[in-house]
Amino acid sequence: MGDILEFKHISKYFPGVKALDDICFKAYGGEVLAFLGENGAGKSTLLKVLNGDYKPDAGEYLLNGEQKHFHSPQEAIEEGISVIYQERQILLELSVAENIYLGRMPANKFGVINTGKANQMAKKIIEDFGLPIAPTTKVKDLSIAYQQMVEIMKAYSRENLKVVCFDEPTASLSDSEIDSLFAIIEKLKAQGKIIIYVSHRMSEIRRITDKVAIFKDGHYIDTVKTQETPEKEMIKMMVGRDLGDIYAKLDKDKEIGDVLLEVKDVSSDYVKPVSFTLHKGEVLGFSGLVGAGRTEVMRAIIGADPMRSGEVYLEGKKIVNRSPREAMENGIVLVPEDRKLQGILSNLSVEGNINISLLKKNSNKLGVISRRKEAREAAEGIKNFRIKTPSPEKKIVELSGGNQQKCIVARSIATEPKVLILDEPTKGIDVGAKSEFYEMICKFAKQGLGVILISSELPEVMGLSDRIIVMRALQVSGEIMAKDATETRLLSMGMIEERERG
Amino acid sequence: MENTEKKSGLKKIVSMIGGNNLVLIGAIIVVFVLFTSLNRNFLTLQNMINILVAASLIGIVAIGHTYLIIAGQNDLSPGSIAAFSGVMAALLLGKGMPVLAAIVITLLFGVLFGLFNAWMVNCIKLEAFIATLVTQTIVRGFAYIICDGRPVAISNRTFIVLLNSRFLNIPVAVWIMLIAFVLFGFILSRTRFGRSIYAIGGSAEAARLAGLNPKRIVTICFILIGVLTALGGMTFAARMNAGQPAANINLEFDAITAVILGGVSFAGGVGGMFGTVLGVFLIQAFGTGLIMVNVPTFWQNVAKGALLLFALTFDYIRKERREKELIAASKKNAQ
Repeated sequence: MGDILEFKHISKYFPGVKALDDICFKAYGGEVLAFLGENGAGKSTLLKVLNGDYKPDAGEYLLNGEQKHFHSPQEAIEEGISVIYQERQILLELSVAENIYLGRMPANKFGVINTGKANQMAKKIIEDFGLPIAPTTKVKDLSIAYQQMVEIMKAYSRENLKVVCFDEPTASLSDSEIDSLFAIIEKLKAQGKIIIYVSHRMSEIRRITDKVAIFKDGHYIDTVKTQETPEKEMIKMMVGRDLGDIYAKLDKDKEIGDVLLEVKDVSSDYVKPVSFTLHKGEVLGFSGLVGAGRTEVMRAIIGADPMRSGEVYLEGKKIVNRSPREAMENGIVLVPEDRKLQGILSNLSVEGNINISLLKKNSNKLGVISRRKEAREAAEGIKNFRIKTPSPEKKIVELSGGNQQKCIVARSIATEPKVLILDEPTKGIDVGAKSEFYEMICKFAKQGLGVILISSELPEVMGLSDRIIVMRALQVSGEIMAKDATETRLLSMGMIEERERG
Repeated sequence: MENTEKKSGLKKIVSMIGGNNLVLIGAIIVVFVLFTSLNRNFLTLQNMINILVAASLIGIVAIGHTYLIIAGQNDLSPGSIAAFSGVMAALLLGKGMPVLAAIVITLLFGVLFGLFNAWMVNCIKLEAFIATLVTQTIVRGFAYIICDGRPVAISNRTFIVLLNSRFLNIPVAVWIMLIAFVLFGFILSRTRFGRSIYAIGGSAEAARLAGLNPKRIVTICFILIGVLTALGGMTFAARMNAGQPAANINLEFDAITAVILGGVSFAGGVGGMFGTVLGVFLIQAFGTGLIMVNVPTFWQNVAKGALLLFALTFDYIRKERREKELIAASKKNAQ
């Protein structure tokens, strides 16, 4: 087979993260290669390096032995490398043909566009794909699946197309739509294209890919043949150790006490009415798809978004949180999901970040901050949460993602909350730090806190929670004791049914 | 970046004063050497005092800008507010109002304009640049309307003595600026309020989730610059013996240039008051120098624009360097 794509010693750094570390491997034409790895393993970063979105800090990549350096995705596309993202990169107001030939519509020598010719050319591609759509249809009138097809056709229409990358292409597709996508992938493969397929779904990887490249914490681990490698082994390579052991080892010997928090029909502009209770010493998991409304419920409870209806009781007493500050004073604190934008204060030091919720406590009547008190709080947080930092004065962004997150948790715990809400606390942090967080969560529960854990990682939510609430389409779709939960049950409770889709 | 124990004495001094501030001190020295060589009178005690007097209005406004820009906001209305305040105070005094009452009422107008700016930014979510441009135009209009477009002479001796006499041979306007620098510098670096300003400048949403109230902090900052500007405008009018509706055009321009030169970044969250002090002194020494060596007025504008461009380039380079250092430090910590 013809084309070869080779990565040579690619490294990429972001503040706080080594996103890619010395990546070396090859991908071949006529093969479907999966990228497998946890969140933050570096798969998407590598795609962005490949298509010119990011400039690598070191290393190079070669297409058929020729070194390539793209400065923008546009350049990459012109050289035959296309990445199809989850979020569509198409213009909804334009027609299918206009999208396919965007920026290179056939025109006469005066620059007047020949729409008829474009439609004809597009029609041929659509027939190639075997799709029942017309070139003149506006893209906004197509289903999500067909919109994605338009993107693939856009890539396909380039005569020099060599590499097609799919980044989680099936996240919002139904089974039959997935079938037609796979048919097209097979077709591209038969034409000898290099195909890269990023997905979390093991069953799809088994079905469509020939080889699997495994990533872990920014490192390339190995490439294995899909058919010859058992799933268990792949997962082991991907997480580096057996995660089952981590959960089993956790100290979950504790007592679940009285009702601590009672949420009755709480809604906001972003979520339908939701009710649940949380007990002292309990870890309550929130499962469901991204966008199911889990974060939004919590934001309404702490007053980050205005509450439209409902009541919140803490230890039997009604409380009203009009702002996160009031929630904090009442004893409820949130560690937000988006660490970069909503968690850390990137311009402040580790010490400043840990102390930001304690300004009142650390200052005198005139508002003058006691540096001694701040230093003491910071030292305590760094010790208790084992934050790895050269000194408390270091800027927080210089730490690794896991240590940044520990600072945010230290900040939250310093406010002495009764209810701790953790929204995807281990997103994008490495496995070692993850297990530290798991121990922490169990310790908090043991101390009598009520912990709410929002997590999209099923093993995590099952391994840590006592009880799990599943959300779907902005409301609660079910509740289950953790000991009765299985991945399939949680998934089916959280899945959007075909008819519910907009 | 290096560990503390490895720092030599020189490095300690550098890190204490701040590399950026040292560059500014260097620039001030260059300006002094340059203008003194062109005009012997530049380096005299009297001229130093003149520079400080001329800097006093910019300085007091720049204090407000330091707070606002660190908080991630901005304000283009001070020039108009200063002129309005001068005219307003002159009118009130002309009507025979007691000096203290006239001053307080004028300051209250400063509060009002600040509230208006804050309202536009917080409630109708306008960009600070656009919102305060609105205020700039409206308030300048009112400055002309209330006096029918004619300067109003100030004959009240108490007012002029209060705001334009000398104490220890230094004019009151300079004392006001110096005291304000120390006071607001302390508040910025050592108090809850100061820390909150840095926090919301870093990320308003993160600060809110951590229990701060960004809207309230922004409102206080806008009120503060309104009041400071009103005070500065009155002092200026006392020095001129008149309130002039056309005065103080481009005041905000000079103040913002000084603040950015001083190391505050338009990105928000970084900088400090000492840098602003140096920035104000540099820009005024530069401005006064241009006049003393007889650079034509129009060319002075060009030179000031060039200085702002220089400040912004400087800001850009600092930002790039911060990011590079960050990546380097991350590399080290990620090992």
